Amino acid sequence: MILKPQLQDLKNIGYYSGKILIGIGLAMLVPMVVGLLFAEINPALDFLIGAEIALIVGLILTKLCFTEKDLNWMQGMVVVSLSWLAAMFVGAIPSYLSGHWGSYLDACFEAMSGFATTGLTLVQDLDHLSYAHNLWRHFASFVGGQGIVVIALCFFVKGVSGAFKMYVGEGRDERVLPNVIDSSRFIWLVSIVYLIVSTLVLGTIGIANGMRPANAFFHGACIFMAAFDTAGFAPQSQNILYYHSVLFEVITMVIMILGAMNFNLHYRIWTGDRREIWKNIESRALFIIVVVTFLITLVGLNQIGSYPRVLVMFRKGFYQVISAHTTTGYVTIYARQFIDDWGALALAGIICAMAFGSSSCSTSGGIKMLRLSIIVKALQQDLKRIILPERAVVEQKIHHLKELFLEDKQVRASLLITVAYLALYAIGALVGMFYGYPFLDSLFESVSAAANVGLSCGITAPGMPAGLKITYIVQMWAGRLEFMSVFALIGFFIAAIKGK
Amino acid sequence: MKIQSFYNAFLGIATEILYAIAIMLAAFLVCVAGYFFLKL
Repeated sequence: MILKPQLQDLKNIGYYSGKILIGIGLAMLVPMVVGLLFAEINPALDFLIGAEIALIVGLILTKLCFTEKDLNWMQGMVVVSLSWLAAMFVGAIPSYLSGHWGSYLDACFEAMSGFATTGLTLVQDLDHLSYAHNLWRHFASFVGGQGIVVIALCFFVKGVSGAFKMYVGEGRDERVLPNVIDSSRFIWLVSIVYLIVSTLVLGTIGIANGMRPANAFFHGACIFMAAFDTAGFAPQSQNILYYHSVLFEVITMVIMILGAMNFNLHYRIWTGDRREIWKNIESRALFIIVVVTFLITLVGLNQIGSYPRVLVMFRKGFYQVISAHTTTGYVTIYARQFIDDWGALALAGIICAMAFGSSSCSTSGGIKMLRLSIIVKALQQDLKRIILPERAVVEQKIHHLKELFLEDKQVRASLLITVAYLALYAIGALVGMFYGYPFLDSLFESVSAAANVGLSCGITAPGMPAGLKITYIVQMWAGRLEFMSVFALIGFFIAAIKGK
Repeated sequence: MKIQSFYNAFLGIATEILYAIAIMLAAFLVCVAGYFFLKL
């Protein structure tokens, strides 16, 4: 029997959703201040309006729904999925007011793409976007990559009870530290340290390449935020091609890989256990699978005759592969070149890279290396059971931060989420084909949206059908939250309608 | 949080950057090998 949600459920959900909206409103003050610093009055006003709306709605919710009760699993998951949707709606307000997005739906698409660290964009005339709006696109990725709920846990949630439920609902099922609030603060510490170092390095390269210092460091900060959070937004429409710099491309590849690493791994390495980087099953799997997918892409590109020189193949071929694997979405080629210059085999390599993704508990999307590794190890275990004598006891071990025996419940959980991702990729591809796009193009774009990659073969454009925009928004949202909190929200609404 | 020393964190960052460089180097060697084996 399904139970109808009670008033206490609504109060808990409303109260914590309100806190998260307050956080989003405060986050919008950052681009507002930047707008004032650069004398961009209209953009600053756009963010003032957006921040006011978020803060007013957030404060009303926290006052009306005030509660000291703890969150249960259902409430925690619903808070996460609902607050991500609310963040999209309020985050889109300043963008829509700017006039650079054709409709409020386009602005919502951009907001979800930013928060979900996807990087697919519908902005018009990006090269003339204000500093404030450009910063918001990248800052939204920075905030979304760490986790909107993670920020709330750092600043607005005093107790840890219930906090873990929200933390898990945001697609993170591993705690870095025993206390989930300390875990959230560590995630921010890693990000801030790399932000400072990378902005200095990228800014210096920009100045050496002829950019003005303020511009160079602005670009450096934006590029870092989008690369480390594996988002893929860039301040200019040509993306990384704009910089025409091998050094810039190498540095961004390093940042993408750093962002795609498990935060637990960062913690272990930063606290002295440096061998973990080679012992860990995820980092090994990432190394091997990147090389394999690049090999597939290389053979495909060679068949077509694209990029006949080694360095060009590295800059144009491998850059896209690592961008796909880390689910960043930075490109050193134009979007249509994927279809016109790459051929089916190379495209298959990129689609696989996007679909697989990178590490769990990182900023990247996709199925994740840990799940793939668990599935492969489970297959090995089953093969051993068949080959070895019946009386043999077959135990399979994996090393992920510690030695673990593979259990059926881990295999089941990994398989369920993998199947959910594959279904999401297929649904998006079918919707794309329904609107008349070819199969490979539709599959490419669908996987890119659902795995929060951001590479585009040209389908994502302001003229895209509204139905496809909504489909990709849902894919980005579900992919980022790894389904469970989305299913919990759907279940909540079903319970509200059909419950007794 | 228990980051014991700045030294560990600094070496940790260096280790992570080396890991990223190792992936890129492996890919670059694949490029070079690919050109030898596929072009001949």
